[in-house]
Amino acid sequence: MNMEALKYVWEGSIPLQIHIHESEVTTVPAPPPALVSLLQWYIPTGVLFDLLCAQPERPWNLTVHFRGYPGNILIPCEGEDSVKWSFINSLKEASYIISGNCKNVMNMSQPDQEELWRSVLNGNLDGYLRVSSKLKLGIIGDQHIAASHLNSLKSWQSIGETDTTGQVKTGRVPVRLYVWCVGEDFDDFEDAPHIDAWEKISYINQPVEIQGEGKCFTLGDALKFLLPEYFRENSLIDEESSEAKGENEQKGSSEDAGGNVRDKDGEGLCENENSFQSVEAEIKLVRIQGIEPKLEIPFSWVVSNLINPEHFLHICVCVKVPQLTPYAM
Amino acid sequence: MSSTESPSSVRKVVVHLRATGDAPILKQAKFKEPCFINLYLNLCLDDYGGICEILGTDKFAKVIDFLRRQLHRETLFVYVNSAFSPNPDESVIDLYNNFGFDGKLVVNYACSMAWG
Repeated sequence: MNMEALKYVWEGSIPLQIHIHESEVTTVPAPPPALVSLLQWYIPTGVLFDLLCAQPERPWNLTVHFRGYPGNILIPCEGEDSVKWSFINSLKEASYIISGNCKNVMNMSQPDQEELWRSVLNGNLDGYLRVSSKLKLGIIGDQHIAASHLNSLKSWQSIGETDTTGQVKTGRVPVRLYVWCVGEDFDDFEDAPHIDAWEKISYINQPVEIQGEGKCFTLGDALKFLLPEYFRENSLIDEESSEAKGENEQKGSSEDAGGNVRDKDGEGLCENENSFQSVEAEIKLVRIQGIEPKLEIPFSWVVSNLINPEHFLHICVCVKVPQLTPYAM
Repeated sequence: MSSTESPSSVRKVVVHLRATGDAPILKQAKFKEPCFINLYLNLCLDDYGGICEILGTDKFAKVIDFLRRQLHRETLFVYVNSAFSPNPDESVIDLYNNFGFDGKLVVNYACSMAWG
């Protein structure tokens, strides 16, 4: 079974450099870190990194505070148990979305549950697969991540055809979508406005149902479903030129007018005669597991290989929102 | 995110609060509460719980806090559909869209861990 992509994802890591906030060092040596300020502890670290580092810096610098836990902003975290509880409940939620119930998770034996959790903590893919396969949460048939055709990732069409021979289970895919909007355009992600507050991120928890028996349901199709207001009706044509969309650096140069541009649903704007001219909205960036997949990739492949251990697919999207400028009267 | 206001963003969600195990039952039909939760009398109020309405844009944390205050208990386990505990940061409208049925979101609460 070809596990190459899965292994890459599981072996991925982010180097961290952790600084204790100067004002809070009173003992030598400093006590072990208790929490990470202003980062939501229940969100996978990789997702936080993908969101907060537009141009990935390495190592990722974090400042730790030991005092003044902002209980009014962050929900409490009481150690590893809180994180495990959060993980298991997300797994149950995903199971509910996929199967309509979470009996399979609830019926897990204690040793199995512990082994599942340990394998996630330790990045142990084999251990994880051993236990998680018992849950039968495969959204896509196992054949999809097996088979020799995946050795060649060039021909998406052949994978699409496999999808239609009944090996793909049509089901609902649990998705957590994180969207942040920028007002200004940027060509280079070094110039991208940084997210300095969690409130600037829109979070949507919405499952995606893989549709279409006669054609391949792509990542772009899934995003169109999740963010309809940023996609035009004929966006399928635009996706042909999405090669540039996959690159996050050269956007400014790929000015092929229709290519990367999306119309914002401007009904409210257009009806008002004396009001505003909208510039089209644009999806600047899509990041999953630290990579920027091309939108024409089959969504089923994305799900099989880039899904998190709790069976949610976390997608980070950066959108440039239209600038509104009043008409000259 | 979208400049056009979608109906779901101002929608209220009906939440059915059901006691589990030895948790106290919220028998009152009306609660004296701050304005973010508006309650109305449900003629079909059953023995096991109460009904409340909450803004779709509010987080699940508001339901948890509401229950903690009403029941005077800090430790509560709160579930959806007797199945799982959503993250307190989840928005109520997302939970309703994904897990609601018959026009309501069923929330179960217990004083000790009820489901795994």
